[in-house]
Amino acid sequence: MAKTQKDLKKIKEDLLNYIEPNMYNCYQCGKCTAGCPLADTFEYKPNQIIRLIMLDKIDTILDSNSVFLCLSCDICTSRCPQEVSISAIMNFIRNESWKMGEFKIKNISRFYNLFLRILGKFGRSYEPGLIMGLNVLSGKLFNDADIAVKIMGKMKIKMLPEIIKGRKSVAKVIKKYL
Amino acid sequence: MEEKENNNSKKIAYYPGCSLKSTAMDFNVSIEKVLDLLEIEYEEVSDWNCCGTTPASNISDELVATLAARNLLLADKMGLNEILCPCISCYNKLHKASYYLNNRGELKNLREEKKRDSIFKALNEMGFDTEKDFNIKVYSIIEFLNLQKELIGKKYTELESKRDENSKGFSILNSLKPVCYYGCAMLRPAGVPKFDDIENPTSMEEILKMVDIRCEDFQFKTECCGAILSLTNKDEVLRLSGEILDSAAMESGANSMIVFCQLCQQNLDLRQTQINKYNKTHSSMPIFFITQILGMALGLSPEEVMLNKLFVSPAVIGKKN
Repeated sequence: MAKTQKDLKKIKEDLLNYIEPNMYNCYQCGKCTAGCPLADTFEYKPNQIIRLIMLDKIDTILDSNSVFLCLSCDICTSRCPQEVSISAIMNFIRNESWKMGEFKIKNISRFYNLFLRILGKFGRSYEPGLIMGLNVLSGKLFNDADIAVKIMGKMKIKMLPEIIKGRKSVAKVIKKYL
Repeated sequence: MEEKENNNSKKIAYYPGCSLKSTAMDFNVSIEKVLDLLEIEYEEVSDWNCCGTTPASNISDELVATLAARNLLLADKMGLNEILCPCISCYNKLHKASYYLNNRGELKNLREEKKRDSIFKALNEMGFDTEKDFNIKVYSIIEFLNLQKELIGKKYTELESKRDENSKGFSILNSLKPVCYYGCAMLRPAGVPKFDDIENPTSMEEILKMVDIRCEDFQFKTECCGAILSLTNKDEVLRLSGEILDSAAMESGANSMIVFCQLCQQNLDLRQTQINKYNKTHSSMPIFFITQILGMALGLSPEEVMLNKLFVSPAVIGKKN
């Protein structure tokens, strides 16, 4: 499902109606960006994201890496002098992009997908399966091999998955989003 | 005083989360041992599920709240409405879910109310009764230990006569020159109780003061370590975690770090060799869980708090001094 102009307009409306009605209080001081641990890596910095939304350029945000890499560390929101919930805005756009099938960074969406599939199967996360699965899917079989050796040396991992009784109801909740 | 003892005799639900059952088993074991020492009664939530953590929350806030809420209602079924949730990522998800369960009235807008309705509907389909009024309180480990500060101090003093200052545990504690690292998720997320200063929290230092452990000032206390990007964009984690280790050693002059988040711990400890390689540095800083330190101060041996599971061995402290 690709994004349409209507979708983009709806995202902005929802942002203003429900997520951050006071977005226009932002006066571009840049404090969010100054604190952001990933500002150097983002194609658009947190303050630019807010400006892009105001300029109706949500498609530009969806085509850049920022909202997908965002760590949700909340420094931006906690330091904003105008109390704009920047991190909630980023999360909303990220959630919407998943709905539209527009999650731009493929290795991350692959990780989320695999994570949820494992969760649906067992009801809990299963680290060996997750890590090996990611290496297979990304084609980098020996990624973090050094770390795997260390973990195995100390047996600091549970090799068999923990399976819960309620896994079917967990799977049912997850199914809608896969 | 009497009231406090009543509080302590109240049983609490324990939600360890997936990591603590696997790659953070040392955190889990040391928490359980410290709770036992403090005579705090707890019971693991029966048949708990993964809270969904970052993947679920980045996909849909409704999904993550529904997954987390199931655990709260399982605890409620056990007759427990206070839940200790040491993993800070789980804590945030469970805390958010408790907001929807506890507030039946008007929420801040229509979208939030719709979200609550659909969480309740999903829980009903799982067979839970959502008609009753809930009053669920979720604690992070530091918020919880902070409330037990006096008790920790009391136990520590009680043990004074029995203390063997030459034991292995104490020789490690005596050689510590630590910083406390809080990471990003304890106080900053919207809605969580602000029981400490957001920019310069001191609750870990205050808890540790009760067992005579002094900590150095630390500028990077609440910087983010890069979290789960370690699985998809590792370089970012190696850079951010490297800055944290550097500041601890160079600016604070610390020889060790005390943390409470297993993801921070994993990034800083397990990946320290990778961090050194990436940043061309030579850090060798052991990263302890706060409950490992508390446990040893209350008389447990290093083995009992699983210090042998740390990748950067605490033995490096002794060597350097």
